[in-house]
Amino acid sequence: MTVSDYSASQLSHFLAGLRASASLAIGYVPMAFSFGVVALQANLAPWQAMAISIIVFAGAAQFILVSLLAAGTGGLTALTAVLLLNVRHVFYGPALVAQLACKPGRWSPLLAFGLTDEAFATAMSEATRRKLPPVWCVGVGLGAYGSWVLGTVLGVMLGAGLEGDEGVIGQALSFVLPALFIALLGQAFQRALWPVIAISAVLTGLSLLWSPGHVAMIIGMVGGALIRPWVGLNREAQS
Amino acid sequence: MNFMTLILLAGAGTFLMRFLPLVTGSGLSQHPSRLRLMLSALGVTAITALIVLSLVGLWQPEQPFGSTLRMLAGSVSVLAALRFSGHVGLATLVGAAVYGLTGW
Repeated sequence: MTVSDYSASQLSHFLAGLRASASLAIGYVPMAFSFGVVALQANLAPWQAMAISIIVFAGAAQFILVSLLAAGTGGLTALTAVLLLNVRHVFYGPALVAQLACKPGRWSPLLAFGLTDEAFATAMSEATRRKLPPVWCVGVGLGAYGSWVLGTVLGVMLGAGLEGDEGVIGQALSFVLPALFIALLGQAFQRALWPVIAISAVLTGLSLLWSPGHVAMIIGMVGGALIRPWVGLNREAQS
Repeated sequence: MNFMTLILLAGAGTFLMRFLPLVTGSGLSQHPSRLRLMLSALGVTAITALIVLSLVGLWQPEQPFGSTLRMLAGSVSVLAALRFSGHVGLATLVGAAVYGLTGW
């Protein structure tokens, strides 16, 4: 393979990743739009809302950050809350690397920057069908980032007065993220994995009774994954 | 701590939590199959946990039956649209539209 063939192949994988991020953008733009509106209502300037989306790029953590700033919480407390909320991301890198067609190498920083919940879910859903080229994941992440920043721009420019809308559009927007996750799970679903999925759902639900959402998510995510080897072993024994 | 310092630290911390395990975790893919199976399952378990969290956030205790039914209608619509179209984005839009319309 010549250098130009290699570059063309990388570009093709990158563009395929960007295309794959289109479904993710459907979830991101409304959510980022809401973030822009909420940030303005918390008395942040438009440039501050944009700075958070451009620099932090971490959905739920951004909403928490703005709420804490609006409540007059100190910077150190707000920073700790953001980092605690994002601690689940430490599990994503090793899980994703195990599904890559080759080591990410020079793509690692870009790949890591775009490794949000939704980008990770999209990649892992695709990984049930094939090994992933690292640059494909970069395309997904950058597409997600672009749609997140675009949604925030729209939110700070057009969104005043829309927050709290209880009409059809407001109701539909509130279901965009659950719908996206359900579709991604539907795409990644394999019959053999149902015990893993069931345990993960039950553990997350039960954990919500006594812990905040980001902790419940880690418990459900890790608890479900821990039983995966035994599910695999049972299947092999049956076959 | 001023605003920009806070945002830069939050951004750097978030990035490092994604980047460092990605780099140091590269060796994990060479580990025994049991660990690899666990890592491979983190994708579906993360999606599952996110579904539970997002649905619980929408559930309204003052309208338990109605809100459950709407979430069910939206979820079934997503899966039906995914089954017929095979497109995640379209399925997402159909589910959101059904949820919005049933609440109006």
